[in-house]
Amino acid sequence: MTTAALTHTPAEQALIEALQGATGWRAQLREATREQGLPTKRNELWKWSDLRRAANDVSAAGELVVDGLDAAFLRPDDGARLNLTLTAKPGASAADAEVTVPAGHAVTLVEHYRAEAGALGNWHLKITLETGARLDRVCIAADAPDGVFVSSAEIVLAPGAVLNQRTLDFGAKLSRIETHITHPGEGADVDLGGVYLLDAKHHADTTTVVHHTGPGGQTRQLVKGAAASHGHGVFQGKFIVDRAAQQTDARMTHRALMLDDRAEIDAKPELEIYADDVQCAHGNALGAIDETALFYMRQRGLPAPKARALLIESFLAEPLDGIADESLRETLKGELRNRLEALS
Amino acid sequence: MAAVKETIEDVKKLEADKYKYGFTTDVEQEFSPKGLDEETVRYISAKKGEPAWMTEWRLKALERFFQMKEPDWAKVKYPPIDFQDIYYYAEPKSGAKYDSIDDVPEEILADFEKLGIPLKEQEVLLGVKGSENRVAVDAVFDSVSVVTTFKAELAKAGVIFCSISEALRDHPELVRKYLGSVVPASDNYFATLNTAVFSDGSFVYVPPGVRCPMELSTYFRMNAEGTGQFERTLIIADKGAYVSYLEGCTAPMRDENQLHAAVVELVALDDAEIKYSTVQNWWPGDENGKGGVYNFVTKRGDCRGKNSKISWTQVETGSAITWKYPSCVLKGENSRGEFYSIAVTNGHQQADTGTKMIHLGKGSTSRIISKGISAGRSDQTYRGLVSIHAKAEGARNFTQCDSLLIGDQCGAHTVPYIECKTPKAVLEHEATTTRLSEDQLFYARQRGLDEEAATALLVNGFVREVLQELPMEFAVEAQNLLKVSLEGSVG
Repeated sequence: MTTAALTHTPAEQALIEALQGATGWRAQLREATREQGLPTKRNELWKWSDLRRAANDVSAAGELVVDGLDAAFLRPDDGARLNLTLTAKPGASAADAEVTVPAGHAVTLVEHYRAEAGALGNWHLKITLETGARLDRVCIAADAPDGVFVSSAEIVLAPGAVLNQRTLDFGAKLSRIETHITHPGEGADVDLGGVYLLDAKHHADTTTVVHHTGPGGQTRQLVKGAAASHGHGVFQGKFIVDRAAQQTDARMTHRALMLDDRAEIDAKPELEIYADDVQCAHGNALGAIDETALFYMRQRGLPAPKARALLIESFLAEPLDGIADESLRETLKGELRNRLEALS
Repeated sequence: MAAVKETIEDVKKLEADKYKYGFTTDVEQEFSPKGLDEETVRYISAKKGEPAWMTEWRLKALERFFQMKEPDWAKVKYPPIDFQDIYYYAEPKSGAKYDSIDDVPEEILADFEKLGIPLKEQEVLLGVKGSENRVAVDAVFDSVSVVTTFKAELAKAGVIFCSISEALRDHPELVRKYLGSVVPASDNYFATLNTAVFSDGSFVYVPPGVRCPMELSTYFRMNAEGTGQFERTLIIADKGAYVSYLEGCTAPMRDENQLHAAVVELVALDDAEIKYSTVQNWWPGDENGKGGVYNFVTKRGDCRGKNSKISWTQVETGSAITWKYPSCVLKGENSRGEFYSIAVTNGHQQADTGTKMIHLGKGSTSRIISKGISAGRSDQTYRGLVSIHAKAEGARNFTQCDSLLIGDQCGAHTVPYIECKTPKAVLEHEATTTRLSEDQLFYARQRGLDEEAATALLVNGFVREVLQELPMEFAVEAQNLLKVSLEGSVG
């Protein structure tokens, strides 16, 4: 397709400028931005998350501060726990890193995303799991109320590798956590969980693509969300099952609560299947809080806001139960509880 | 037992040849100049003796079409279409519409008879079947409607059933009021093309409180070489009216790809109900994927009134490429939209089909049941949108789309879009993809069925929820079609 010369928005110019002389993924981002601009809702993959529009207050190059990372290429030791904090300062910025989990090692990776007002932060991770490796990845976007933060990861598993990923997103002006996974089957196992809780015009987008390339792979995905007062939740999940990926067992579920009549939730759970001997299913359900349960709890003496918060918490916390590390699990559940209390 | 015997014979006929509709009929025909420009549009409009506002509307659409870009989001692949290499209009030379069945050229009557579509009313009446099984038929041959049966009897009930060109002549006020009100001229690429060059199609108006006394049906036949078919159907059910409408399509076997870009508009006012059933069996191309019809169709129903209901049922087995999303715009309070679909792809067929349910009215409900069966080297995508707007309190949707893969060279894809802007709605979506169960196949074979019969039996079980929604006559045809379409896909 040939397009006429694109007029770049200030945010696009700023991002291109910020990435002058960059290499690798950041160079790709620069060229993509130069050629196509920032994605808009006309782009099928960004249909419900208009990045160009969200970044309308960005006009200068900024900085994405990465804390907790010693090198751009990492090969962590067995049992290591990496705590990263990514802070997007006002303006357009991007950073990336590569992590390889060596064969047979188990590693925990925690990423905190923060964006200040007027920031457009782009973070990219390339992760390789060698044979039999295990990665527990937790991404938390809890501190970016007025900024724009896009996290994307490309994760490649070797046979026998295990990936357990959990995301917790309280939204931003636009927050997107995008994960692309190459799943070789053959004993490899992928377990994805996600939670979003949104209010006050916050936007959270959970996008995942799991590509099954070899036989006998397993993937489970459970994403739950809730949105109130102009909160906008987006879930896009896609399973691709190649012809060679026979006996794949892949299940995707997205469930969400609409907390009031100003919220919006959009979902696209997609299956693309080329192998015949597979079990693939996806489910998607949207609805409101169960009024009978609420009534029951109030009748037992709980005040309405408390009852509501409890119901939402029990609904949302389910994906977090899958976090292996107990202290991490409790921390995330605590954050969710605090947020719910602030909401009600 | 007559019915059983008939069924057996039907099946035999089908087995004789995989695509029994592949013949061509020699009729002297008159064509529009080849290619797409203002002149073609004026030619078609003049041929139909249309009022000036229609010609204007068409020309505007043409202008818009030239500015539009062909959509590329569907999961189908085909070489670029040369819109200048198509005849946009073909009619039998002896004139378009015949006043009486006796004037219709023998060749055309024979063609429809071969297709099993009886056009002579007395024959239908003599057809033994009970009177409630009578079906009024509008027969469309390439670009023109050749005959409409049972018009007089329908008129007694106040039902208008005629070709759209006749409607433009006899009921211009109705056509002007509703045409393009559901699918606007610039709706999408192929609908805009259709608006510019549409030739014929059916028009139905059922007055308030009338339950249409018989099933209405249109039979579309593409015959001429190098032509496209661009029909336009408009059905209006006024307050409290009910109509059931069937549509069937076939085309000869040809090496070339023929374009079919139709638009169907349905309008249901207060308490009205429209049931629209399609059995689509355009020529799918040969086993190497050569030839076949490009079926790029826009179908949309508008539930304008409260408690109105529109139900789409489709059995899609033909066409090389299908691009079709029958939709319901649920504006009326407590309106209801339904979509039941069976799509079968085999050989090199590609289908990207599904539905859209747009909930605008309070308490509107919708149900989507889609069953996709892929075999051979085919690719099939279910693409559906359920959108609940902020004012659609109490809206409900249930979606189930199941895919069945037969063989390991085919693909089945599911792309559901769900948009929700109110907490007072409930949306549920389920989808599964599996293959035929070995156990079930073994069981059926062990009971003495051969592999193909066993497969057909299981496939029929897989799609039964949709088959139940088809009018009786169609259900039998659909079952046979499924059997034929899947022939050679096992073993």
